[in-house]
Amino acid sequence: MKQRITPFEDPRARTEAGVMGMLVFIVSLAMIFAATILGLVVVRIEDDGPWPPAGMPALPSLLALSTVVILVSSLTMWLTTRAIAGDRQVEFRRWLWTTFALGIAFLVLQVAAWSQVIADELDFDRHLYAWTFYVLTALHALHVLGGIGPMAVVVRHAGRGRYRADQHRGVTYLAMYWHFLDLAWVSLYATLVWGTWFRS
Amino acid sequence: MTTLDANRPVDSTGTPPVDNYLTFTRGIMSWIVTLDHKRIGVMYLFAVLASFFVGGVFALLVRTELLTPGQTIPGVDADAYNQFFTLHGAIMVFLVIIPSIPAAMGNFVLPIMLGAKDVAFPRLNLGSFYLWILGAICAVASLTFGGFDTGWTFYTPYSTTTTTGGVIPVVVGVFILGFSSIFTGINFVVTIHKLRPPGMTWFKMPLFLWATYATALIQVLATPVLGITLLMLIVERVASIGLFDPAMGGDPVLFQHFFWFYSHPAVYIMILPAMGIISEIISVHAHRHIFGYRFIAFSSVAIAIFSFLVWGHHMFTSGQSPLMNTLFSAITFSVAIPSAIKVFNWLATLYKGSISLNTPMLYGLGFIFLFTIGGLTGLHLGTLNTDIHLHDTYFVVAHFHYVMMGSALIAMIGGLHHWWPKMFGKMYNEKHGAIGFWLVFIGFNVTFFTQFMLGSHGMPRRYYDYQPEFQIYHVISTIGSYIMALGFFWTAYYLIASLVGGKKAPANPWGGRSLEWQCSSPPPHDNFKVTPSVGDCYDFSVVRWDEEEGGYVVDRDQDPSLKSAT
Repeated sequence: MKQRITPFEDPRARTEAGVMGMLVFIVSLAMIFAATILGLVVVRIEDDGPWPPAGMPALPSLLALSTVVILVSSLTMWLTTRAIAGDRQVEFRRWLWTTFALGIAFLVLQVAAWSQVIADELDFDRHLYAWTFYVLTALHALHVLGGIGPMAVVVRHAGRGRYRADQHRGVTYLAMYWHFLDLAWVSLYATLVWGTWFRS
Repeated sequence: MTTLDANRPVDSTGTPPVDNYLTFTRGIMSWIVTLDHKRIGVMYLFAVLASFFVGGVFALLVRTELLTPGQTIPGVDADAYNQFFTLHGAIMVFLVIIPSIPAAMGNFVLPIMLGAKDVAFPRLNLGSFYLWILGAICAVASLTFGGFDTGWTFYTPYSTTTTTGGVIPVVVGVFILGFSSIFTGINFVVTIHKLRPPGMTWFKMPLFLWATYATALIQVLATPVLGITLLMLIVERVASIGLFDPAMGGDPVLFQHFFWFYSHPAVYIMILPAMGIISEIISVHAHRHIFGYRFIAFSSVAIAIFSFLVWGHHMFTSGQSPLMNTLFSAITFSVAIPSAIKVFNWLATLYKGSISLNTPMLYGLGFIFLFTIGGLTGLHLGTLNTDIHLHDTYFVVAHFHYVMMGSALIAMIGGLHHWWPKMFGKMYNEKHGAIGFWLVFIGFNVTFFTQFMLGSHGMPRRYYDYQPEFQIYHVISTIGSYIMALGFFWTAYYLIASLVGGKKAPANPWGGRSLEWQCSSPPPHDNFKVTPSVGDCYDFSVVRWDEEEGGYVVDRDQDPSLKSAT
């Protein structure tokens, strides 16, 4: 016997509920980043010395580049959703692919930033300065990975022409999550930079 | 089959209804992959009750060990004892009380109360259940890694330095359980927003839904903080450096802040849905319109908001600044206001009600009694100067058991009796129910009221050994715990017996008006064929006993609030 999988009769109501669920989920994830940032702020304020401490490298300059990349990817994501809302399939696929590529590029840049500081001997367990850098970037990168997977699925569905102006829930949810990743990164990066500026 | 027709008794012929969620599909697979919120609720229920048994066994071990100073049970040394109370606490908090009402009762009742066919995201709901199972397995598997003795609070630096090997598995388990809880919360928030039937405005919702809504908000906002804190704890334990490590410039008190930022709201995750159940039970079994509906609804939301502002009252002795202590103390007192509003409104509902003193109502009244004691003793602990004396004594243990067990768990068991006929279509023996209640109620008070005295005389919590002068209290407390255990085994017995030989339950055995009493017992697979129209769910004037039906029926054509709808 067929099992019911949605209590909604109207697909539009289904989408509205999905958008709301996604929003609540994002707020929940935002609490994770808020707590992490707060933790960093507290240990930074309690530390009397300068960040980076003597003998440790500064924040890798590549992070500025990855910030630009993720900001641009957020913009292309917005163009993606606008294109599918207007049912412009070719444009939609182009922007979606661009966003996908930028997402991968962001991760590559983060890995490059890590190898740069590892080469400069920023040891994870020597100081909280290093600890916060690694933990915060890793935490965010994991969330990006968690977005790349679903995006690959959306890219595949888009290639098969599954999305229409009135039927693109997957794209909508993905876009919401992606903009959140952008915002989360900017907040994290700003906190890391603030940590190096702060003097007690 | 429409089950909404009050004039046609549901299933009066005695043959089982064809469409009922228990018999809708058969076989173990139909349960394992079910998307039906009722089946998921029932699976949660049994998982939670199994955990309750395990946590209860550890509680009895702790109480038995404390019968005499020093070693009582052969082979149980201080280290084993530390593991026992830690396991008892962790299992009861994370595997029993937090999921008991929202995940088990809520899953079963919430969509039916809304007249909906399911929660908003049935797949996510099943996913939450399996996350819960995975988390529970991790937590229990920690025993095979050498257990853990940190106390359920996992305070640093002890939790990052203790040599017991089960810390990481249990912390991973709690992390996973947290996500299960978050997904359930998301599901309930969206369900209540988007799946209310036509006519059910926010202020026509049953109060249980207000309570679960407020709970879901806390689950969504507070649980992630616990998640990241536990993750940091794992990193710190593995790498020996982290935010909470003072040797490297970290701050161990920061862990306490993070932990209680979640865990104090978590106390309200436990108590709010319990209060929701009590609002239903009191009103239905007193057959009287709930008094002060809006006050109860808003006080749930107020408690949810306050819950985020009082965590510091767990840390009065942690060295936090006197100003912070004073602020946290003051805000803590203000929680008394919405709590008292609820108690007053329940009492006012009872006043001049036509009270049916059956088992759910006994638990309801028991809740009011125990919650009042639990709440009032909270004031002693919220007061700064008395807290310095009472902190980390048995007074605290007694206080939170009155709230977490005497209130949250008692309400859960009350709710279980209230909805048991609906869940399984069988009536339990009322006399047996009353015996069970009195055993639990008396046993509970003997166990924990004694501990108030223990604590105010200075007996610290979590100690293996104690001065001989405390022994008499420990003995009384332990005897109480045995009475309680007897009560729970008795309850398990008659509930199981009802499944075998119980009388068939009518659709509406208590005279309730919310929508779950308007579908047959057990409910059909899709709850309602047609989305039902909604009246005032606390107007009992149109509810009457029907001899032929063997239960109550609602005269829907006489209900003024439904007139316009039809």
